[in-house]
Amino acid sequence: MTTLALIACLALGVAAEPGSIADRIAGAAPGDVIEVGPGVYRERIRIDKPLRLVGVGRPVIDGGGSGDIVEITAPNVEFRGFEVRNTGIDLDKENCAIRVLAPFAVIEDNVVSDVLFGIDLKGAPDSVVRGNRIGGKDLDVARRGDGLRLWRSDRVRIENNEIHDGRDAILWYSNGVEVRGNVAHRCRYGFHLMYSDNVVLEDNEVAENSVGVYFMYSHTLELRRNRLVRNRGPSGYGLGLKETDRFTIEDNVIVGNRVGVYVDGSPFTSKKPGEFTRNTFAYNDVGVTFLPAVRGNVLWENNFVDNFEQVCVLGRGELTGNEFARDDRGNYWSDYVGYDEDRDGLGDWEHCSERLFESMLDREPKLRVFLLSPAESAIEFVARAVPAVRPEPKFSDPAPLMQPIAAKASAERDARRGPLAAAATALLAVGGLAFVVARSGLGLARETT
Amino acid sequence: MTAALTVTSDDRAGSRPPSALSNVVALGMRQLRDAVRSRWFALYTLAFTALGLAVSYVSAHAAGGAGVSGFGRTTAGLLNLVLLIVPLMALTAGAGSIASDRERGMLPYLLAQPIARWELLLGTYLGLALALFASVTLGLGACAAVLAAMGERTDPGSIVWLAVLSCILALGMLSVGMLVSVVTRRASVATGTAVFLWLALVFGTDLGLMAGTIAFKLRIQTLFGLCLANPLQVFKMWSLHVIDASIDVLGPAGTYALDTWGSALSWIFAGALAAWVVVPLGLATAIFARRSPV
Repeated sequence: MTTLALIACLALGVAAEPGSIADRIAGAAPGDVIEVGPGVYRERIRIDKPLRLVGVGRPVIDGGGSGDIVEITAPNVEFRGFEVRNTGIDLDKENCAIRVLAPFAVIEDNVVSDVLFGIDLKGAPDSVVRGNRIGGKDLDVARRGDGLRLWRSDRVRIENNEIHDGRDAILWYSNGVEVRGNVAHRCRYGFHLMYSDNVVLEDNEVAENSVGVYFMYSHTLELRRNRLVRNRGPSGYGLGLKETDRFTIEDNVIVGNRVGVYVDGSPFTSKKPGEFTRNTFAYNDVGVTFLPAVRGNVLWENNFVDNFEQVCVLGRGELTGNEFARDDRGNYWSDYVGYDEDRDGLGDWEHCSERLFESMLDREPKLRVFLLSPAESAIEFVARAVPAVRPEPKFSDPAPLMQPIAAKASAERDARRGPLAAAATALLAVGGLAFVVARSGLGLARETT
Repeated sequence: MTAALTVTSDDRAGSRPPSALSNVVALGMRQLRDAVRSRWFALYTLAFTALGLAVSYVSAHAAGGAGVSGFGRTTAGLLNLVLLIVPLMALTAGAGSIASDRERGMLPYLLAQPIARWELLLGTYLGLALALFASVTLGLGACAAVLAAMGERTDPGSIVWLAVLSCILALGMLSVGMLVSVVTRRASVATGTAVFLWLALVFGTDLGLMAGTIAFKLRIQTLFGLCLANPLQVFKMWSLHVIDASIDVLGPAGTYALDTWGSALSWIFAGALAAWVVVPLGLATAIFARRSPV
């Protein structure tokens, strides 16, 4: 009995105060592999020689709620399999869970939770950040730090990470970065590029952030097969483009945002048109918003499905400098009213946006409160019937598609057919019951009267 | 049902006068039976269901290959339909009730029974309300069934919420209809008034308010306050609020309401609609108590 208790005590002791990781790093030679067993390590770590630090059984490194936790100052460090948690909350000092200050780092398969800044790469080119889960502190957005930040770190690969409840995942002055298969939820900006060129973002899911993806002052960008869903902050763009150049936006699914894509001063030069193709813009408040001076974009083979406003020109203007078709292929518009008599898959009439209520909204945003009311439909009806009040078309698509293009990135969530069927049954049952009561009450009522 | 049963047995025994509750239940059952057998009920239910199915089918189909069902505007489309049909249904049903009884000479006969006038009014109201509930839930239930069969991923909760709120809207509009019914002498006038009111609520007030917003540059809080005066707007905002968890889709006014009232918003909407249920019905009761039945 006593021996058992003694062993238990020992085991607990070991679990509570394992040998310090910092000591083992100090004692290691460059190139060594340090395996760290499970337990909670309350310490700060600086890795100043090329080592592989491998957590076995997900050891926890706890910062105790102040300062930074892990700092990597030597190149060629690998850091994997840990849980790093509980940084300070000092925004001035940018308290950070894992800070990398040297190139060729591999940060993989870590859980980073309850932190101000998650993973911060400063001058760490050619690094890999893969399969980490980064969760911010439960703070007001203005007091949060960035879940992931790159500063002058070229050719970094960011793959299959999950970032939630942070401020931004942001790239500063980092060229040639590849961002693939990540998930960003409930942050301020899902992914934010500042002065970062030749960046590729593919197969990411960016949902329920204030803004999904924002490109600023960058060029040669590819955004492909991403899902930008329900980003509904005060500006609420699925994708924002500010003075961005040479970009290709294709095969994305952009759904339920306040504004699907917001285009401001992009493309910045006339070197290459801004290309938007095979994207699906669906159920956003506004599909695509252009600032009036924007020109040089080409949109073809996109689906515009039931956005309250499909295309908006802020401050009223025309989109003459932009094209809505390439090689005689336009876009699919759910509100297209024409037909396809020659059956070539293209509408025989060009698609013009000339909805009266929409143009009223552009002029007086307060009127949005009448969205979805029958009065809105009445106004559209009047506009169709009386050409005199029909607004000037904002743009025209000369070759509208009759069928939507099949999306490559899917915005489907888990099938919930069962509950819907149950709801249907419940409603039918309630209605049926009332009906049956009425019928069976028939005989009784006849007797009473 | 059991209440109704006891009513009959008590009446047969003749031991004591029936209670107010049993009176109301018996009158309600009569009204419900009449309503369910009547043409308007069948017609409205059919029209509502057919249009609802069309909306569901089209919106489930529109997203088609785009792979974005489940974020759809199906519920929003149904909401638009409810806004059009349910008030018309409830207003005309309410307006037709007492007025037609009076026109057919049924009212003096009914009031010759040992029942209070408010019992008659309440019984009629509840009977019609139940008929409307049946109509609304059958219609929306059928839509949900079609959506489920088409593999649409509409949130089931949103349809149930829509049904519940539609029933509350129906109660309010029925209440207004009853008031119309009590103050008019002829059934045709009552129905005409109901249709006029419907037009005013569905189109008139909104269009007027739109014009007012532009002409007088209404402030956002004034606009929101005025919207609260229209039961249809309240229903719409409440539905969006519970279904989408947000009315920010309604632009500045929605964002203002959300920022200012936050979680109290549901209670504001509930209070506004409850007023539309209680006030007209109370007025109707007061007027009906004084008026001659012929």
